[in-house]
Amino acid sequence: MIGRLLLFLWIAAWMVAAFYWAPLVPVLGETTRVLYFHIPAAWVTVVALGWSMLHSILYLRTRNLEHDHHAAAAAEIGILFCVVATVSGSLWAKAMWGSYWNWDPRETSIFFLLLVYAAYLALRSAIEQEERRARLSAIYSALAFVSVPFLMFVVPRIYFSLHPDPIINPRGKLDMDPRIRIVFFAMLVGFTGLYAWLQSLRVRVARLEHRLDQA
Amino acid sequence: MPSNGSSSGAAVWAILRKECRSEWRTRYGLNAALLFAVTTLTSVSFAVGRLTDRTDLLGALLWVVLLFAALSSLSHAFVREVEGHTLTLLRLVASPTAIALGKLLFNLVFLAVIEAVTVPLYLALMGAPPPKWGAFLALLGLGSLALAGSATLIGAVISQTRGRGALFAGVSLPLMLPVLAAAVSGTRAQWAGGAIGAEVRLLAAYSAALLAASLLLYDHLWED
Amino acid sequence: MSAALAPAGRVATVTLEAHDLAHRYGRRTGLEPVSFALAAPGVVAVTGANGSGKSTLLRVIAGLLRPSHGRLALAVEGRAVPDARRREWVGFATPELSFYDELSVAENLRFAGEARGLEGVDAAAAAALARVGLESRAHDRVPALSSGMKQRLRIAFALLLKPPVLLLDEPGSHLDDEGRATVARLVDQERPTSLVVIATNDEREWRLAEQRIELRGRGLGHPA
Repeated sequence: MIGRLLLFLWIAAWMVAAFYWAPLVPVLGETTRVLYFHIPAAWVTVVALGWSMLHSILYLRTRNLEHDHHAAAAAEIGILFCVVATVSGSLWAKAMWGSYWNWDPRETSIFFLLLVYAAYLALRSAIEQEERRARLSAIYSALAFVSVPFLMFVVPRIYFSLHPDPIINPRGKLDMDPRIRIVFFAMLVGFTGLYAWLQSLRVRVARLEHRLDQA
Repeated sequence: MPSNGSSSGAAVWAILRKECRSEWRTRYGLNAALLFAVTTLTSVSFAVGRLTDRTDLLGALLWVVLLFAALSSLSHAFVREVEGHTLTLLRLVASPTAIALGKLLFNLVFLAVIEAVTVPLYLALMGAPPPKWGAFLALLGLGSLALAGSATLIGAVISQTRGRGALFAGVSLPLMLPVLAAAVSGTRAQWAGGAIGAEVRLLAAYSAALLAASLLLYDHLWED
Repeated sequence: MSAALAPAGRVATVTLEAHDLAHRYGRRTGLEPVSFALAAPGVVAVTGANGSGKSTLLRVIAGLLRPSHGRLALAVEGRAVPDARRREWVGFATPELSFYDELSVAENLRFAGEARGLEGVDAAAAAALARVGLESRAHDRVPALSSGMKQRLRIAFALLLKPPVLLLDEPGSHLDDEGRATVARLVDQERPTSLVVIATNDEREWRLAEQRIELRGRGLGHPA
């Protein structure tokens, strides 16, 4: 309870700071602030999908259904944050590039990623028996994660993209105002905390569903 | 206990030969796939006409035709085992990895046959300028490897679900999209006279990563 | 190779032990916990009501089904066989075994032998067919066989690799009196060298065994 309240206050406080304390970047102007939501959402997407892959492999090793609960929950939340990153990016693209969708390599990549994990959920829904669903979707999830580094990091680097590279740029350094950097990292921490909370909730629901199913 | 190392290679080879023999005797899968590829090709060609000077579109449409042919046919190898109830026999004589590798090789041969018919026909019907054969074939080979690699593992997974036919295309397509993107951009570049190094490396790395992950996962494919 | 290790006439040291072995399909119980210790040579009958898990137990022993509880240990010549390789030491005839329709009877057996890495596949296939009295139908396609002949082919498949462990699930199903006599004769031939496990409720079949494992699953009597 206390943890949730702190998390809420933390994110709210830094959101206010994003508007009244951190400066704007010259070219980006007012759209600078998308940085504090868009990139943490993309970060949580990668973390969640990685978590899903990790638990898929653990499931295949141990056959403990608890790992399947984690893998499924992480994939669902990963998709949710992927949608947040896509939509916030699309709104930003409208403001900066003049249209919501241009098939820029980054947009293409994240859209492919959404489809890859939507397919994971479609696969899960097509298998009734629990152990079989856990095993087959773990196989798919482990294979699907192969595409994540390609889509998130390799493709946008190879093809010319208009997308700004504040975090994962080829020079590998951050050229940001210190105040922007502080708010950005604080939001990154906040989003990660938000993910951890959602993940624990979803896993508890999955456990209950499992017990209900057994009864 | 005696080592059985040599028999895995023998199992892969035996499965590949069995697949080819079954396919050759019925020609059911091959005929259907070829018919599908040629029909797709015809509708594309009919809809857009000859595109002699639009090499950007030529690359894209070629891979769309090939992707559809792959999606319509590559799950066949496993679905046939499930529908014929022969998977028990197969699982009793070979390890899951040997089965999957045998099917992967068969899927590669299958794709090569489809491409051998479709690609020349495509180039002729669309009035395409001659491609740079080295680059073109390299893209075709690596693209097929990545398509067959993802289709084999996912085909094996899908064959164990309800509604396997309908689900295969939807579940395997997203993992094939990066292949499509790189192959289209490379094919376009070789017609435009540009470099294809980045695309070839991307395709090679993606195929290698898919196959490496598959090799670790094959052993869990069948357990009930 | 399993066949090379257990030539006819020589007794291989084989032990098969189960500790609290059980299987559940989701909520349904396929096999209630069972423990036993068996050794070759010998003939064992597994009996029990419909749904008590006879077939499930045999599928677990053959390595087709991963048990959800407990442990099964096969040791050959004193060495433990890893679960993933148990199939190499086991011959399994079960009603759910189907053969490839596109291949002839002999080709099906030759494929099985090749996939297992067996030497002299042609002779082994011919010998197995002769043992079940199916040699005259070796070149027929599988769909041309009657259900009794298909059952004989399943038994020939199980015998093909001269396995130290022979699993027969309802071996007499679909067979005429002469076929049942053949099964009895084959079991007697294997008795001195192999561990034969027969799942059956037919008195003529379990009388062939020296030991009996009675599965006391709920069966259909007390729905869960």
